[in-house]
Amino acid sequence: MAAIAAVGIVKRYGRLVANDGVDLSAEPGEIHGVMGENGAGKTTFMSILFGLQAPDAGEIRVRDAPVFFHSPIDAMAAGLGMVHQSFKLFGSLTTWENIVYGAEPRRGPLIDRRAARERVAELAERHHLAVDPDARVGDLSVGVRQRIEILKALHRDARILILDEPTAVLTPPERDALFAVLKSLASEGRTVLFVTHKLHEVTAITDRVTILRDGRTVANLRTADTDAGEIVRAMTGRNVNLKVEKRPAQPGDTLLKAVDVTIASPSGKLAVDRVSLTVRCGEIVGIAGVAGNGQNELVEALVGLRNPDGGRVEVCGRDVTDGDVATHRAAGLAYIPEDRAAVGSAAEASAADNLAMGFHRRPPLASGPFVNPSAFAERARALIRRFAIRIASERVNVGTLSGGNLQKIVVARELAHEAPALIAEQPTRGLDVGATEHIHEQLVAERDRGRAVLVVSAELGEILGLSDRVLVMFEGRILADLPRGGADEHNVGLLMAGRGVEAG
Amino acid sequence: MSPFSGGLKRGGDRLRIPPVALATGFAALVGAALILISGHDPLSAYAEIVRGSLTPQALPDTLNWATPLVGMTLAAAIPLRGGMVNLGGDGQLVIGGLIGALAPLFLPDHGAFGAAVGLAFAGLGGGLYAALAAWGEVRHGVPMLISSLLLSYPAMGVTSYLARFPLRDVSTGLPQTLMIPPDARLHVLSGALNVGSLLIAAVALAVVFVDRRTSAGYELRMRGKNPRFTGYGGVRLGRQAVRTMFASGAIAGLVGAIIVLGSQFRFIDGALITPAYTWSGLMAALLVSGEPVGAIVAAVFFAALQTGGFAMQRETSVPRVLTLVLQAIVILFLAMRRGLGRRM
Repeated sequence: MAAIAAVGIVKRYGRLVANDGVDLSAEPGEIHGVMGENGAGKTTFMSILFGLQAPDAGEIRVRDAPVFFHSPIDAMAAGLGMVHQSFKLFGSLTTWENIVYGAEPRRGPLIDRRAARERVAELAERHHLAVDPDARVGDLSVGVRQRIEILKALHRDARILILDEPTAVLTPPERDALFAVLKSLASEGRTVLFVTHKLHEVTAITDRVTILRDGRTVANLRTADTDAGEIVRAMTGRNVNLKVEKRPAQPGDTLLKAVDVTIASPSGKLAVDRVSLTVRCGEIVGIAGVAGNGQNELVEALVGLRNPDGGRVEVCGRDVTDGDVATHRAAGLAYIPEDRAAVGSAAEASAADNLAMGFHRRPPLASGPFVNPSAFAERARALIRRFAIRIASERVNVGTLSGGNLQKIVVARELAHEAPALIAEQPTRGLDVGATEHIHEQLVAERDRGRAVLVVSAELGEILGLSDRVLVMFEGRILADLPRGGADEHNVGLLMAGRGVEAG
Repeated sequence: MSPFSGGLKRGGDRLRIPPVALATGFAALVGAALILISGHDPLSAYAEIVRGSLTPQALPDTLNWATPLVGMTLAAAIPLRGGMVNLGGDGQLVIGGLIGALAPLFLPDHGAFGAAVGLAFAGLGGGLYAALAAWGEVRHGVPMLISSLLLSYPAMGVTSYLARFPLRDVSTGLPQTLMIPPDARLHVLSGALNVGSLLIAAVALAVVFVDRRTSAGYELRMRGKNPRFTGYGGVRLGRQAVRTMFASGAIAGLVGAIIVLGSQFRFIDGALITPAYTWSGLMAALLVSGEPVGAIVAAVFFAALQTGGFAMQRETSVPRVLTLVLQAIVILFLAMRRGLGRRM
């Protein structure tokens, strides 16, 4: 008997076919991975499974009985629970209030607060999900919030748990703890659907894996009988090199420099606390750290989106501390922002317009104050070719592109600046293997052209693979500056969690 | 995360009638029903609207009516194109109007020179006044939506005071300035139509050209689509806001001077505000999110509707307020189709 099965799911959005025959079947007690490149239809499929959207064709079965979910309420009633990528919690309420919300133990018309708290404490104890029932959720770390999301599903006794990229926000120790919890849930006979991009996670904890490509199920593999290569081939239809290949760095002059940069956060705490760093030409420096430890604020100061409260920023020898983005860019900086949709592009503008930003005031796109639309188009077509961006034409609005292709638009534009210094923030977040590899190659190529590259990423593997030097940021400070050989998953992971470097 | 989540558009690929035609047709049907209920013949009423606005005899009237409306529509559309709102059109309009009225009166040499100086300084005055609102936001964080509106009141108050007391034409009992000498008035082209309409037409062409073919136009369009992206791309948003508001206010000021120098021949307290050009213009511009060509078309359409309304009222005794009902229905229906409210 399958705990949950989907047969021939089809979902169309206009001419776009998001799901075109997705099949999946998972047994009770199984951890089932769902993998696929961006745009393969994973998120659409999960939202159909959980009743957020209705399929155009196909059938969902729970314990072999066909079901039709009008909304997530139906799905929860059928024993499904979902932990979304971005948590759906009330920050101003307490842990227990969040967990019992929508299914509160009652005494008459009132919430039975004591029963609710006991229930939450008991659930947390039983599943080894340590939470403080009375803490305000807004004060908690993402790792704890994720536990609350899981408890929320367990409170309704979800037999089938869907987790959409649950590890994206976790430190390595938190990730390991999550895996232990998932394994114990599976051992109780629950089914876990685990959506991820990360190969090593699939091989680490799943029993079976369903692989989607172009909206279809292309493979259903038993994890023990397969290897990373086979999974990647199924996802991409080709062999992909997982290691970042590069020669040793040959650093030269310092092109990007921060001296004692300090930034106060609105709460009065220091978001960035006297951070100094240098990036020389011909090297990639990586800043590792769990999101929210001051990386954003530091990068904003480095690129001119904000002025630091103290300290100095230099780009190519010019003091740009009090400048704005235009000043920093003029001094020789290009920037791939963390949020490609909100900052790095304009969704409702064409690819040609998106690719022109920053080039629109000089030849060949402009002559004097006038712009030349055909030069916009020509230049866009050249970049689309060079970076192999999958898009129908340069007139298409970039809001319709998949995450990987949109990121390629951003990367193509920023690299086309040929600026001496480059800052790349979460350059491959949410991208699939193929797109990630392509962007990593581009960054290494930039370095080999003698540019100074600063990579900020919460993805430890990315930092370790790309960087010639690793800085670890924790609570606004740089805890360590490790040479390439001196950084590994273990010691950087510990530093990311705030523990000092062990002596020797 | 999925590329498809962005594709969740409603009614995506069904057979689609252009929304403008649909809205106009729907408004015409509702209007016809209203005329029938009130006991008149809808076909003859509509025929009078068309005859009263688009025939060769009526066209100059329509264009004359369209002149200030197109001007104020552009004044609203320019900031909207960049995602900003100028609610202070009335203030900029009266500043321009007063300057336009005073220049020919106080310059030693009358004539066309006085009118030209009046127009130029009216634009400058309106522009600077609007730029003040932008500067307030950029420098001091006062939301422009509020400051541009609030700045209108002192402008209206001060011009009203000047027209009532120090500058009043004491030979009349009305709050208005002296008459502008005939040789300083805008040259008449045909009937009510004067050179002012040509000026606004030139401004309209310039706005369309700047929007489509200049770096500044590109930057403003991109700002309207995503200001964070535009700032990240290196555009200085503060400076851009001030300049954009200057252009917007300059057009409003110019419109004020054109009305004064072309049709009213003096600054009359309240006369520039009462027709609510600012708000009709804002409506027309909002309908197309500030896209200049669409805004101009919408403004001319509404002007034709209103001119035709006068003819209809004269010939068929259907009250002219019907055209305002039609206009409101067109706007509501278009706004519904475009989901304007959802973006705000």
